[in-house]
This record gives sequence, C-alpha cells and structure tokens, in this order.
Amino acid sequence: MEGDELELFSRTLGAAAEAHSGAALDAALVELGWHEALADDPGAAVSVLFEHQGRVPCTSSALDDVVTQALGAGPHQDMAVVLPWLGRAEPPARRDGGHLVVEGLGTNRLLGAETALVVAQGPAGDVAAVVKTSELAARPVRGIDPALGLSAVSGAATALGPLSALHPGDWTEALSRGRLAAGHEMVGASTAMLELARRHALERVQFGRPIAAFQAVRHRLADTLVALESARALLDAAWHEESAGTAAMAKAACGGAARTASRHCQQVLAGTGFTTEHPLHRYIRRVLVLDELFGSARSLTAELGREVLARRRLPTPIPL
Amino acid sequence: MELAAFRTALDQWLDEHGDALAPDRPQDTLDEHMAQLAKVKRLTFDAGFMRFGWSERVGGLGGSPLLRAYLGEALTTRDLVEPGIYSMTETLAPTMVDYAAPALAAEMVPRLLRGDETWCQGFSEPGTGSNLAALACRAVREDSGWRVTGQKVWTSLAQYAQRCVLLVRTGPVESAHGGITALFADMERPGITVRPIDTLHGGPEFCEVFFDDVVVPTGRLLGQEGQGWSVAMDLLPHERSTALWHKAAFLQRRLQDLLDTVAEEALDPVQVGETVQLLAAFRARSRATQHQLAAGERLGPETSVDKVLAAGAEQAVFDLVEAGLAVEVLLGDGSSASRWRSEYLFSRAATIYGGTSEIQRNIIARRLLDLGDDR
Repeated sequence: MEGDELELFSRTLGAAAEAHSGAALDAALVELGWHEALADDPGAAVSVLFEHQGRVPCTSSALDDVVTQALGAGPHQDMAVVLPWLGRAEPPARRDGGHLVVEGLGTNRLLGAETALVVAQGPAGDVAAVVKTSELAARPVRGIDPALGLSAVSGAATALGPLSALHPGDWTEALSRGRLAAGHEMVGASTAMLELARRHALERVQFGRPIAAFQAVRHRLADTLVALESARALLDAAWHEESAGTAAMAKAACGGAARTASRHCQQVLAGTGFTTEHPLHRYIRRVLVLDELFGSARSLTAELGREVLARRRLPTPIPL
Repeated sequence: MELAAFRTALDQWLDEHGDALAPDRPQDTLDEHMAQLAKVKRLTFDAGFMRFGWSERVGGLGGSPLLRAYLGEALTTRDLVEPGIYSMTETLAPTMVDYAAPALAAEMVPRLLRGDETWCQGFSEPGTGSNLAALACRAVREDSGWRVTGQKVWTSLAQYAQRCVLLVRTGPVESAHGGITALFADMERPGITVRPIDTLHGGPEFCEVFFDDVVVPTGRLLGQEGQGWSVAMDLLPHERSTALWHKAAFLQRRLQDLLDTVAEEALDPVQVGETVQLLAAFRARSRATQHQLAAGERLGPETSVDKVLAAGAEQAVFDLVEAGLAVEVLLGDGSSASRWRSEYLFSRAATIYGGTSEIQRNIIARRLLDLGDDR
C-alpha cells in the first residue's frame, strides 16, 4: 500500500481506534478488512493500526493476529494466543510429557476465547499447539496499566490434535512481528506525548512568555523528536529488510524513545502532567509495559552487545 | 544506470584496481590524505564512476544521487579516502549546479569532481559562528564585480583550495538575512591571506582566511545579489545528506576495526550494544534521506535530525575506541595508535562543526516542532 490508498487506510483505522477499544475495536477491525490487509501487506497493516492504538490510546487483540499470522496458523478471531511472560522472548510454554506447561500473558481476547495457540519449547525444537483455554488459569492483571487488559496465563494443558513442529526461525519471525507491533504502538504513544507537551509549552505563559520560548524546554522536545525519528527509521528498515536483528534493534530504539518521551514530556507538562486529569499518565503507563513486552530496550541492548562481542562482528549494515 | 548495476560494476572495478587506488605513502598527515583523495578522485572520474549522479550540464553522466552515495560508501569502506575531506565535494558541487551561471558550473564542477582542484566554504567568521545571519565580511559593488574585505574562520582546507564558496554582506549591517550574497572566489587572487590553525586532533584541518580588498568578478555571483541566505540554506542540507551516508560507512568500518583488534573483556557489552544501535539508527535515517534526495525532494530542516544522530553515533563509536584501546589512544606512538587518537580527538568536534548540536536542536524546535520564536 502507498500514496492515497495508504492514507485512506490510515484515516479509516484512525477513526475506528478513536471510536472503539477492546472487543469493540476487534469487531471493527473485522468489518474494515484489517485481517486481509495483514495478509497482503503486513508492514502497512501493523504500522498503521498499532501507531493509532498508541496514539489514542486504546487496545485491541490484534497482537494475537500478528503472532498467529506470522506462525502461519491464522488469524482466527475466536482463537487467542499465549504471549511470552513480561520481559521474556522465548516461547511461553515447554513440553512436559504429554502436557504443555504454560506461563505467559494474554490480550483481552484470551478471557473470552475457547481455544488458544501455544508455542512450546521441546527437546526436538519448538512446537505449536491449540489448547482449550478452560484448561489454563487466566487471571486479569491490573498493574500499572489496567486499561491494557492483559491476563496472566498459566497451567498445564493438552493439545487438541497433533502438535505441529515449527521450523527453526519460525518463533523468531513471530517474535519479530510482535516486537515491531509493540514498537509502533510505543511510537504512536510517544508522538501523542510530544504533541501534548508541545501544545502545553506554547500555551503556558511564565515570566511573560510561553515556556516554549525557553531553550531548556525547546531542547527537551527536540531531543524527543530526534529519538522518535531514529526509532521510526529503524522500524522502516526492519520491515524493509525482514531481519530479526534489525527488528530487535528497532524495538529497543522504540523503548528508548518512549522512555525519553515520557521523561521530557512529563517534565515540560510538570504538575499538570502529574495529575490523572491530564491524559499524559495513560501513555506513560502504556509504554512502560510495552517496553518490557518481548524484551526491554535494556535487555535487548545488552544482548546485542554480548552477541557482537562473542562473534567479533557487527551486524550486516543496512544497505542503501 | 541503476544502483544495483552501478554497485556491481564499481565493486568489480575497485577489486581490479586495488593496487593503483591504494595509498602510495602512509596516511599520517593531512597533506598525505589530500594527495590520496586527489588520486582516487582522478582515477574514479577517468573510469566514469565519479561522474554518475551528476548532471550532464556539469560533465556528469546523469543518474540518481544514490550512485554518489554508494561511491563514497564503497571508497570509505575500503579505506581509500578520508570521508571528512571528501565531503566538500558533496557539499559544494550541488550549490554550483543550482546557483552558478551554467557556463561557470560546466567549467568548474568537473575540476572539483576530478580532483584537479580543492574548494572551500567561506561561511563562519570570528563574530559569526552559530549566528550565521550576522556575518560581516563586506563586499562593495563596482562596475566589474565586488571588492571583498573581511575575515573568515574555521574554513576547512582553505590552505589547499583554489576556489571558495563565499558568503559576504552586500546590504547594510542591519539587513541580516536579506543583505547576504554568495560569491565564487578564486583563492589565488591578490589580497587573500590564509593562516592554517593547528588543532587538538593533530591536523591543520581549518584556517583563518583574510580578505583585503579582493576583487571578485561579476560572473562569479551565485544566485542573485542579496539571495545568499537561500544559497546557504540550500547548501547546508547537502552537508547533512550524502556526506553523512559516507560518514556512516566510515564509522561502520572503524567500529569493525576495533572489534578486530580489541582485547577480550576490554569492552562493556551494554556500551557496545548502545553504540551498534546508535550507528544502525543513524544509518537507517540517512538511508531514508538518500532516497528522498533521489526522488527529487528538496531537503530542508529535517536533515538537522540526521546531523544530531551522526554526531551522537560518531562520539559513541570513539568513546568505545577510547575505552577499548586506552593504551594505544593515550600512550601509543605508532601509526595505528596515532590514527585512533586523532580520530578519537576529532570526534569531540562532531557536536560542534557544521552547526553545533544546540543549533541543530534550535532548528528542530523552530522548524520541525513549530515552537515559535525563542525570544
């Protein structure tokens, strides 16, 4: 998708994200043909939807579809996915005899769906299986961002039907797509924070002039934009190259940019931004969780450094 | 020619002519870097590669500016040219193509591309660093041209240069942006004195240039009289586009060189990971800028983002060098140690030259975030 078509797609999804959240947004996405777009042009479908989700902010269970589609197992609107536990990158289950021992997270789809897709690590590689959600204990988590609608999922379940063996790299592919989706959502949320802080800086008058006239304020906002633009550039490169390494760097850059945006925008919004009467807190809560999901900026950066040192080789540079 | 075909042809030619292109002497001084640059430009021009991406009107062979980006990347990656001194070509030639009289551009640009000449950029003055619009170097109009009197400073490579893209004040002092004119001056004219300035990193990279009643003929006007600010505003994004892609290739190469030589346990994995990410993000951003340029888009203040990222990546890479190779950088006297030390020290200026990081942030705040006036 590009040009007018992409713009129309973005406007349509933006309006849906403004109007709906949770199950209602899921229903709207079906209506709007987002799943067909996900199959045809995953880069456009994921970037546009998740940036809108971050910007509003609202939630959906589209992350389930991103992961199942990458695994070649869907999407099916009535099947949820078990995501890795917070901060983890490996599959959320392991094989134990005839059982799959699960410990992970679910989106708002998990509590309502009858079945869930689970990827498990086993002695002979990763396998994917569909299990009954009734065999798992799912507990809604409130935590720092109750509006996100996550559930903690655990238990031992038996596969419905045969296990399907995944190829090496399949989980990494699904993980990369999940990382990019979370990255776009953080970029959307950070863009919204920057706009809130920018508007406040122009309206708030102190010492007889808008605080936007003070260089200390201007440079905080400029640094936020630089961090956001560098995260966007890495997201684009990751879609363009389809490289797991670049996707991990993009996720780390998005997490870093979101923390930079939170810090600077909260400082510029000052007392106002510390209240729950102002929307800033919703974004700050959201990006803290998204940064940890599928591996935080901190852990991905350290892991990248260890890999580079072990191999004594830089990742292949992004080609012209 | 398309990028893929150009890449294949250039890589093959570079492989075949490696011996002829390699430096004849060790690259320890600026003189040696300049001689090597001139040699590589001549060989790549004569083989045609240096002419791609430039208009036929100035002796080029046409094609996308992406070809220029790749040429500089390939030459830098093979350590054949020092990208800082190579960047003057990418900064000054586009200005001549856009603003010089056609016959002048056609005569002069091939000399720069072929390495027959070196050009410099006379912008900054002792009283005018970040505040370019306050420049005071004065040009008085007469029948045959202008008489220029004043001083420039931080003028890179002026001691080697035959020509100078020069900003002068032709309007009254209070005319600010509106009273500036761009000229293309000959550096061998009577009345010009060049004094190289010794620097922290060991090379007299830049100079003071004194103009004492120097005559610049009418035909050497770039754009219109009083339009010098627009010329400068169109030139500066070129300083932050193709040349920065070459800088990214240089940083990639030197970071890999570090990994090839550094002792086990000498580097902190977190610092390595951060640096690799900063470099990848800078490269991803610069790649997008190269493609915008190739699509014919006019580059503007958004290139200040590229410059901030470039400066951050350069300092991060050489912070890592200083941490990992402390003994070489601090105590070494050999050729390799001297090079690491010089590059480390030069990287300290990355947030200063070409518009300080503060000025870049001011541009971002005003032009990209629309935060209004800062007074």
